[in-house]
Amino acid sequence: MIELINVTKKFGSFTAVDNISLTVPKGEFFGFLGPNGAGKTTTIKMMAGLFTPTAGTIKLCGFDTATQPNEAKMRTSYVPDQPFLYDKLTGREFMYFMGGLYKMEKKLIQERVEMMIEHFEIGDWVDKRTEDYSQGMRQRTTIAAALIHEPEIIIIDEPMVGLDPRSAKIVRETLKRKSEEGVVVFMSTHSLPVAEELCDRIGIINKGRLVFVGTQSDLAAYKTRYDGKFESVFLELTK
Amino acid sequence: MALLLHILRYKFLSFFKTTFDLRAVSLVRGIGSLIVFGGFGLVAYVASYELTLFIMEKTRIGLFLYHRFISMMLFVFFMAVNMGNIIVSYATLYRSAEVIFFFTKPVTFTQIFLLKFLDNFLYSSTTLFLVAFMVLLGYGTYFGYPWYSFLGILLCVLVPFMFLSACLAVLVLMSVMKVASQWGFRKILVLIGSVYASLVFLFFRFTNPIRLVNQVSQYYPEVDQYFSQFDPGFLSYLPNNWVADVLFFFAKGEWEMALPFAATLLAVTAGMFGLVLFVAHRFYYRSWLVTFEVQASSNSVEAGRRMKLFDFRKNSLLPPQLEAVVKKDYFQFFREPSQWIHLLLMLVLVIVFVLSIRNLNLGLRITNVQALTYLVLYAFGVFLSCSLALRFVFPAISLEGKSFWSQLSAPLDVWKLFLLKFVISLFFILTLAVLVAVASNLPFVRLTERRPLLMYFGLYSAFWVSVALVALNLGFGGYFSNFQEKNPIRLASSQGATLTFLVSLIYLVTLIVVVSAPLLKYFESLFLFLPFDFRMIVVPGTIFGMISTAIIGFSVMIGLRSLQRDF
Repeated sequence: MIELINVTKKFGSFTAVDNISLTVPKGEFFGFLGPNGAGKTTTIKMMAGLFTPTAGTIKLCGFDTATQPNEAKMRTSYVPDQPFLYDKLTGREFMYFMGGLYKMEKKLIQERVEMMIEHFEIGDWVDKRTEDYSQGMRQRTTIAAALIHEPEIIIIDEPMVGLDPRSAKIVRETLKRKSEEGVVVFMSTHSLPVAEELCDRIGIINKGRLVFVGTQSDLAAYKTRYDGKFESVFLELTK
Repeated sequence: MALLLHILRYKFLSFFKTTFDLRAVSLVRGIGSLIVFGGFGLVAYVASYELTLFIMEKTRIGLFLYHRFISMMLFVFFMAVNMGNIIVSYATLYRSAEVIFFFTKPVTFTQIFLLKFLDNFLYSSTTLFLVAFMVLLGYGTYFGYPWYSFLGILLCVLVPFMFLSACLAVLVLMSVMKVASQWGFRKILVLIGSVYASLVFLFFRFTNPIRLVNQVSQYYPEVDQYFSQFDPGFLSYLPNNWVADVLFFFAKGEWEMALPFAATLLAVTAGMFGLVLFVAHRFYYRSWLVTFEVQASSNSVEAGRRMKLFDFRKNSLLPPQLEAVVKKDYFQFFREPSQWIHLLLMLVLVIVFVLSIRNLNLGLRITNVQALTYLVLYAFGVFLSCSLALRFVFPAISLEGKSFWSQLSAPLDVWKLFLLKFVISLFFILTLAVLVAVASNLPFVRLTERRPLLMYFGLYSAFWVSVALVALNLGFGGYFSNFQEKNPIRLASSQGATLTFLVSLIYLVTLIVVVSAPLLKYFESLFLFLPFDFRMIVVPGTIFGMISTAIIGFSVMIGLRSLQRDF
């Protein structure tokens, strides 16, 4: 489970995330939306341990990311918005590398890597160095590597960028199935249809503040105030 | 031409906007850099002046020998600039994203080549110019050069000298790229490496400094004459000798005698630049295409599937996290040509140096000469460690690049990561430092009739210097980290790297100052049969350890803090 308690992040005088509080329970698929520069990636980076919050507390599976970062990270998986991979490693080597970082046994890594290669259909090029990969190939490899250690929480930033329709379908289905298995999925996206299709609950952030948090039924009720479209609700809330 | 100027204008704008940033943090950093650069300039000036004074008035080896030693140092400098340029040019001319951008625009290949070549030369040589100019200033002040001659020598002698080396480097590089597709990239590189190593070896074999000293000493005290009759014939065709002769005649006050050498250097440099442009016009684009063939042939699925040394699939005795990071670093390093080629070249140079000096016949039992020889060899050893650490340790954190998210978001303590990089780097730097220390101390152990004191000192020093330099370069490399830059050579010649190198050199000068007095006393005790108080070793040894410990502590602290910054 994810808990954000009065989390704030400032860069000098600029407040990127302003006193956010949020709880995402086990097995929930949470969609995190907002316009460019609203604070989505900053929030996600704080959860992943890449940024230190200026104030507030973040707990992942009950572990405070400030005081017990390794316990929290051990149960979490982060997929960045840009799928940067070590360009001299092959996709397979990158997955082994990630498995090692999460202290997995070699035999288990081997089994999971084979499983991921088959599931994400990356066998044709997984043994080439990633320097020659396209954006979609990188994205699929990053997501596959993130799932190697079977995390309890998946924090994923813009997963559909650069994916072809088939790959996007695989990723959507994988994330949905993980959530049904009890994994928390915290996904940031710009795609309103994807959020509507996949998420149990949606949060909208604008100028660093959470301006909407609600379930699909809350959203449906909200939509009736406008023209019945999610897009209109989103545009109104982020004006 | 208008197009070239248009591009240059925006390149300068970009440079000035990033260099002269007026934010408070940048200003503080800029002032800090200015103080360190200024301090270093001053140290270089004073060291050069004092060294010239010492050589001319204490050792009294005379003008000719002094300038022949300068010529030898310039030869090594020329080769170092040349090899550095080959590797940097490969990255800037063949692997740069900017080149691909220009290829899609109406800019000719020759113009692109010229832009990248000049960019490369200016970027990698700025610090060398600063150092060279301050050394020249110190040296020239001793000989009473007129003020205007400093600028003249810098612009008409030193700059063309380095430019000639850079021109030769790109010619070699384009030739390598041209034939690489037929002969194989690795074979060509091994061949080039062997040729360079042989050149350095043969140069010192034929110039033979000891023989020259003996020949010139016969004319003592008339040792300021121009003894070119003792030079091997090939020396008059080498640019390092032209520069040394210009300096020699200026020092003698016979500047009109210096003009032919300066004119030769300028003419050869201009001719070489013309040749470079001609070759680039004919072959640059074609050789650029070769890089794709080379890359494609080295990155196939079949090659990736083959089981390799340190393969991730193999079991290991190391804990999983350690194994993952070590193997990742290994592949990232040895699959990047600019890394392993540079390492190979430096190793070849170290081996040539070790082979050349291990049987050095010191001959003369003159205290000042032997103390100076020892200090020069010692300084070279430390300087080598400084260069290796700067080139391979400083960029280590930055080279994690944007992919660093994978480690920072994993359950891995940053201090473990820092420690791991520290230990790997230390193993490599310390091994070479010990090798050089043993080789450079062997002739002195023979000279001192098997007294091992100098060898112990060499090993003690190698340990402290290696630990301090690794800590310094790793710590400062983290503080000045640039995760955007993928090119290790550009990282190692960035502003932060230059500052780190200057701090390393200040450390080197401090060490020399600390050890020079007891060293002189030790040689006096040997040759003049004077008593030697061993406490004279303990005090500088302790100071040595304390300075190194302070550097290690400070560097580790800032390095660890830098890894905890927002990514």
